[in-house]
Amino acid sequence: MSALTHQDGPRAAPGFLRRLLSSPSGAIGLAIVLLLIFCALFAEMLAPYNPSKMGAGGRFLPPGGKHLLGTDEFGRDMFSRILFGSRITLLIGAVAVGISLTIGMAVGMIAAFRRGWVEAILMRSTDVLFSFTETLIALSFVAVLGPSLQNAVIAVGVAGIPFYARTCYAAALVETSKPYFEASISAGAGPARLVLVHLLPNVLPTMIVVATLGVSTAILAAAGLSFLGLGAQPPTSEWGYMLAGSRDYINRAPWLMTIPGIAIAVTVLGFNLLGDGLRTSLDPVERK
Amino acid sequence: MWRFLGTRIAMGAFTIWITTILVTLLIHAVPGDPVQIMYAQSQGTTPEQIEEVRRSLGLDRPIPVQYVMYMERLLQGDLGATIRGGQPVLEVILQRLPNTLLLAIAAMFIAIVIGVPIGFLAAYREGTLTDIALMIVAIAGISMPHFWLGLMLLFIFALELGWLPVSGNGWLNLVLPALTLGLSNAAIFARLTRSSMIDVMSQDYVQTAFAKGLPKALVLRRHVLRAGLLPVVTMMGLQFAFMMGGAIVVENIFSWNGVGRMAVEAIFQRDYPIIQGFILTFSVVVVCVAIGIDALYAVLDPRIRRS
Repeated sequence: MSALTHQDGPRAAPGFLRRLLSSPSGAIGLAIVLLLIFCALFAEMLAPYNPSKMGAGGRFLPPGGKHLLGTDEFGRDMFSRILFGSRITLLIGAVAVGISLTIGMAVGMIAAFRRGWVEAILMRSTDVLFSFTETLIALSFVAVLGPSLQNAVIAVGVAGIPFYARTCYAAALVETSKPYFEASISAGAGPARLVLVHLLPNVLPTMIVVATLGVSTAILAAAGLSFLGLGAQPPTSEWGYMLAGSRDYINRAPWLMTIPGIAIAVTVLGFNLLGDGLRTSLDPVERK
Repeated sequence: MWRFLGTRIAMGAFTIWITTILVTLLIHAVPGDPVQIMYAQSQGTTPEQIEEVRRSLGLDRPIPVQYVMYMERLLQGDLGATIRGGQPVLEVILQRLPNTLLLAIAAMFIAIVIGVPIGFLAAYREGTLTDIALMIVAIAGISMPHFWLGLMLLFIFALELGWLPVSGNGWLNLVLPALTLGLSNAAIFARLTRSSMIDVMSQDYVQTAFAKGLPKALVLRRHVLRAGLLPVVTMMGLQFAFMMGGAIVVENIFSWNGVGRMAVEAIFQRDYPIIQGFILTFSVVVVCVAIGIDALYAVLDPRIRRS
């Protein structure tokens, strides 16, 4: 996977985009993700109602008419809430993956670069944390910090670190054993140059794929915590939290349950497809 | 093979040991005074009572002493008492653990029975419309939040059709939670089985077997299936851990009386002894299952068996 070499650098970019768009999963995934970003950025302009305004047009109005996706138990417009929810969801994904990615990559690259006891300590503790599973780490974090959206995002981000560290370590280890890497050590390259110029750009393709797929995992995990009441608190229009609230009206207003669920599923699907597409277009072996 | 298993068992023991340390530290990581927080919800607790609890939990001692005390009690099978009700934590957990294990095992069964054949079929028909359709279903399955799938199944089969009970702890009640957890994991098994089978089918020895004219069914059964299922077996350990995690959410949807539901309640009530006990139990179960799967793998893979 990390066989993407130097000659393939920035100049390959247009070819890369063409390859991404020529794979159906990459193209559909990118379209979904771009649409989500658009909704998140322009939620104020796109939303027909204020998402937290109660009683805008009656409670439990079914989808259709003045309220495209109906209204909830407080008469809030579901379409507007979903639009604003996309902002929260994307932010959750970005922040959680940001935490996992930066710390995980730092651990992985340092372990692969320093070797010896540093490597032993870092990777063995990663193994231990990995066997705890992400759910347990996230749940323990929320148990300690207390339920809130912010804590849920931190918990999901921290829980992802072991996986990112492992993947980055494996990718970096492949690079350090290549002739060009040994050649630059012989040529007298310092640690900063070796890590930033040689290691980083070469593990990046792998890590971009992992991070894209990781956004879906993070969104699912955070929505799960919110669903349990351990994440977003009222009156946030977070999708997982909205789903949890819909349980009480499951018979009366089933759309309150179906709509946020579809929103989460489509978002996660978008990042999964984009990740798959990126993998095939970044990986020279699969590209053949 | 024994060396392989010995290393795994040692790693597992090490993991559990680290868990005991983390669990002791957990209560100190709580912002503010944990005893105050635990009792914040019950009215009329006097400062003397709070001091008493602090002493009984050993929280007035230095942390290393606390750890030794915790380990001493732990080795005697004492996980402390719950804050609310004062029941032994071990008893509370052991009452519910079988329910969670039952749910996870049933879900694993569903995931394998559905996922592996789908993956195999897709690999066999690689590149055809069948393959593409199956893989679209699989990626949609992976993307679907299992708590949503659970709600939908509950709505359709319990409320609309009335075929199955909404909640409870009988055998019929197991169907929907196990299906919820199993279906979302079936998609993962399908994808893994497919890529593993495709990998094996392109191996030289399989190509040779086809080339020398062996019947297709025989090659698939004797050469492809056995080798192709090995990564699936490895994956089972990791999947079981995922299912234990997923059970936390699913148990809450269907009011299934397992340790996951207990843990979430304990987090709301700030019942730290239960949370500590849950984390420890969870990691012991996950480690034991992982070692069991490794043993199975060692028996199945001749490269390890004969080493």
